[in-house]
Amino acid sequence: MIKKLLITTATLSLLLLTGCGQTAPNLNGSSNNISDASALSGDTVSINENGYGNESAGKGNSSSDGFQSVYFDFGEYGISSGMENAISRNVNVAGNANGKRIKIEGNCDEFGTDEYNYALGLKRAKAVKDSMHAQGINTSNMLMVSFGESNPICTSPTDSCYSKNRRVDLRLVK
Amino acid sequence: MRYLLLLVLSLNLFAVDASLKIEKDVEQRSRIALEDASPSVNAAFFKILLSDLKISGHFLADSRHHRGDLKSNFIAPALKSKEYVLKYTLTQGSGTKLIIRLFKASDGTVLLKKSYAIPTTSKAPFLAHKAISDINDVLKYPSISWINRYVVFSRYTSPGQSEIILADYTFNYKKVIIRGGLNLFPKWADPQQKSFYYTSYAGVIPTLYRLNIYSGSKQKITSSEGMLVCSDVNANASKILVTMAPEGQADIYEMSSSGGSKRRITTFNGIDVNGKYVDNESRIVFVSNRLGYANIFKKSITGSGVSQVVYHGRNNNAVDAHGSKIIYSSRESQNSFGNNTFNLYLTSSSASGTRPITATGTNQFPHFSTDGSVVQYIKHRGNNSSIGYMNLGSKQSLLFPLGGKKIQSIDW
Repeated sequence: MIKKLLITTATLSLLLLTGCGQTAPNLNGSSNNISDASALSGDTVSINENGYGNESAGKGNSSSDGFQSVYFDFGEYGISSGMENAISRNVNVAGNANGKRIKIEGNCDEFGTDEYNYALGLKRAKAVKDSMHAQGINTSNMLMVSFGESNPICTSPTDSCYSKNRRVDLRLVK
Repeated sequence: MRYLLLLVLSLNLFAVDASLKIEKDVEQRSRIALEDASPSVNAAFFKILLSDLKISGHFLADSRHHRGDLKSNFIAPALKSKEYVLKYTLTQGSGTKLIIRLFKASDGTVLLKKSYAIPTTSKAPFLAHKAISDINDVLKYPSISWINRYVVFSRYTSPGQSEIILADYTFNYKKVIIRGGLNLFPKWADPQQKSFYYTSYAGVIPTLYRLNIYSGSKQKITSSEGMLVCSDVNANASKILVTMAPEGQADIYEMSSSGGSKRRITTFNGIDVNGKYVDNESRIVFVSNRLGYANIFKKSITGSGVSQVVYHGRNNNAVDAHGSKIIYSSRESQNSFGNNTFNLYLTSSSASGTRPITATGTNQFPHFSTDGSVVQYIKHRGNNSSIGYMNLGSKQSLLFPLGGKKIQSIDW
């Protein structure tokens, strides 16, 4: 009985070790002396757009024309009670804008990725727009743009720094 | 004694699956060595060839940098144990010339002779990729033509400024194609990679353009208040998925590639972004915060029902799709600030077969290769950022270091 078991075990092991080999492809040598890399030689263009950019780029990213930036908590787009005074001030400034359009720019910290962060910035801009509309500012005079995380005013790796980037800036459309 | 032998037999039988799998994984790949016959050694080029062989999933490459003679059929005895030997010469002056000869290691039979020439030196990495994909085709392995493709990405250079760059998949070749201004979200517009879409912030509101990378011609597709991103292009390049907010609410729209007609696909009063075609373009998967946090959902292009695809993670804010396969990033730590652990997961549009692809670091921006066999992603670990590739079949992975500038968006 023991001998039979030994033979069975050895046979099974041998079968398992030898049963699944795969031969390499067998190819005949052929003449392939071709030069076909021409598709790689097409040169691509280079475009320089340093001459123009968005109107807020490089301006320090704070609000201008008398408006005050509105700040948000991490990941949030609701206006906190601490920011209601800023909204009221912005409503007053907008009321004296002589019909000029107001640009509302949504911004985020760097802790988001790709499209989601831009949508979050837009929700913040819309929260400010809706609050100002609720206090009498005509929606047709307000224009929203989200800048996502592209426009930080502070780049140090601290919580207080990141909080400065979670903001909405306002300015008049030139 | 009888019980002991029965136990040994049982253990042997239970071990069958594991040992067979290992054997199969090894033998499916061909053992290959490289022999450099170039006048001067170019270590960087040799590393690119090795990377190509590795990420193909079809080769086990000898990592030693052998020198040899291109014209001779002689195979060094030490290399006879390989299945193939690839001899090559790389010559660079005003241009780049690469000559390759692929030998059967056992008898020195020539399987492939080929030469490549381009008038520049900067694009030499593409010659390596082309040579390896040609060798792969001659040996009748599934195509790896995706290694020949450009990667296009945008990165921030300073507040309110960015640049859009073309690269090969290893990032050894890089060329700035749009410098200055704020230009974001580049997305290939056609399978041949002649044009890409991108969002320009040069005007008062975001505008979507399509740029031909060879002629420089630029076509305005549409513009939108709030935000505007081209998230996906369908297989025949006739339709695009965009996230836009014409009424101040970010939703996903399907649009003709000319911008002529559009259909609103999502209507949620929150955040819906990152739409990707799935299931033969009959549905989309997308990122939404309709449960209070970023997560992955799907819906048909024409219907109204929305269903959840992912049931774990607190922040799943990026997704890509190929066929019915879905890859997404999931935040798995609770830090509000600083480094969080983001891992990539593979699942399907039916939410079945979910499995992790990465285990450490911050892994984001997942993208499938054109055949869905490889995933590209950005990995942050400590102070280092890399572009990573994971072959889903062979489980082989590669990481190439990135510079310090933050990548905004990437497409392959």
